[in-house]
Amino acid sequence: MIETPQPAPLVEHFFRHEYGRLVAVLSRQVGVEHLEQVEDAVQSALAAALETWPVRGQPDDPGAWLFRVAQNQLRSELRTASRRQGILERHPMDEVEDASPPETHLRGEVGDGLLRMLLVCCDPALPVESQLVLALKTLCGFDVREIALRLFRTEANIYKRLSRARARLREAPLELEGIPEIEQRRPAVHAVLYTMFTEGHLSSHPDAALRRELCDEAIRLAGVLAAHESNNEAAPTPETCALLALMHLHAARAGAREDASGGLLLLEEQDRRLFDAAQIHAGLSWLERSARGETFSRYHAEAGIAAEHCLAASFEETRWDQVVEGYASLIAVSPVHRLNHAVALAQWKGPAAALAALEGFEPPTWLAGSYQWSAVLADLHHRAGGLEQAARHRAVAVELAPTDAIRALLARRLAWLEGQPSSG
Amino acid sequence: MPSYLCLQRSLPSENRSKPSPAQMQEMYAKFGAWKEKFKDNLTDLGGKLGEGKLVASEAPADGPFVEVKELVGGYMIVSAETLEQAIEIAQGCPGLVSPGSGVEVIEIHRP
Repeated sequence: MIETPQPAPLVEHFFRHEYGRLVAVLSRQVGVEHLEQVEDAVQSALAAALETWPVRGQPDDPGAWLFRVAQNQLRSELRTASRRQGILERHPMDEVEDASPPETHLRGEVGDGLLRMLLVCCDPALPVESQLVLALKTLCGFDVREIALRLFRTEANIYKRLSRARARLREAPLELEGIPEIEQRRPAVHAVLYTMFTEGHLSSHPDAALRRELCDEAIRLAGVLAAHESNNEAAPTPETCALLALMHLHAARAGAREDASGGLLLLEEQDRRLFDAAQIHAGLSWLERSARGETFSRYHAEAGIAAEHCLAASFEETRWDQVVEGYASLIAVSPVHRLNHAVALAQWKGPAAALAALEGFEPPTWLAGSYQWSAVLADLHHRAGGLEQAARHRAVAVELAPTDAIRALLARRLAWLEGQPSSG
Repeated sequence: MPSYLCLQRSLPSENRSKPSPAQMQEMYAKFGAWKEKFKDNLTDLGGKLGEGKLVASEAPADGPFVEVKELVGGYMIVSAETLEQAIEIAQGCPGLVSPGSGVEVIEIHRP
């Protein structure tokens, strides 16, 4: 009979996060131009673990085991390649061979490695979506199929983005010694992490666990950035703090956004007792830390609005004037905030004021063609008494709804045409 | 209890994609549960097969010959009351019966 000691259970997402750590540390050692070989080596180390551990038992330090196997694999891979190309002349892998035990590499360099990889991903020469895809692949350990599923893209699209990104890294690898690029790339890092979070938070994916994962990954990587800034610049930058604040404050409401059967709930329908107190606490403490210096970024404004919603005792008691002010400062960032501004204004000063604020505003085609635009207009017109316009916009909104969950939400929110009174 | 030799066979398949890290962790957990469930039946978890050579008294007839490892990926030995039970054990092993992989379960006659 088989006698192997019952191993300590691996932490959640161990394989995926180990993938990210190893790719980060190893590509720092050999250069990101070899990203593809690094990823292959890490993938085969994980496969070796899957074959070996169940039979021989899980090693005491699984991370160190994986590092050793991946490093050996990568070394022999590069040695083979170097016979053709002379790569080792530039990256003498043999020098690091016995320099220090792998444990030191892992513990000392992981945070640094992850941050460097994040900077590598946020290459301004790549479209933001490709930066995001590259980060999800290399740092979060999702494969092409999993990324496609989460971003609502085809696998071919993700694959193409990755191979273009890798080609770019081969041409113009970021110099990984020292991180002068952090100054130039910090805004891009913020943007990519914000997008990663939003993809999860606003996603209409039916699987709540998948949406939550993207949010958790964004928070994890923003934490890596904040830790680096703490170590090297005395304190995290105000923008990084504000970004973390808004992520935690949005995550706080995640559990209240759905009913028992997974249907979406409106803010006014959400049970505020379900807001996550620990997330609110974390969010508020980041918000406090973000209030430093002269900086007031879009992340500050969005975190401030999210805080208002988390702290209001009820929908009616929300400090709408504060929310309106927050959105007013965001109008320059995106026209979608003009819409949000109008919605908050309707709560504060009534629907007529909101419609007046939207008058003369020509939305860009992507916004005019979105269900949100039509839904808001339907609601505002209905509340202001313009029933005919309301019905017209409602029909468009329902038509444009991208998923059944959103269609159900609209049908309920805009149910007055079925003879029910408006809740607003 | 009779013993059964389980041979993992590579099968042609269109959608044989590498598992993602998340899928690997899932398989690892399933493997642990499977091993625990059948711990009294798993005589030898075996392993992958490497290079091999056919040794014969006469030169074999003309090829082409397929290498053993291309036909058989790995082996293990389980003990079970019946062939059906042995099959159940082998089928429960995560990944063994999947696109691109099957298992041949053969009783071992011990004198």
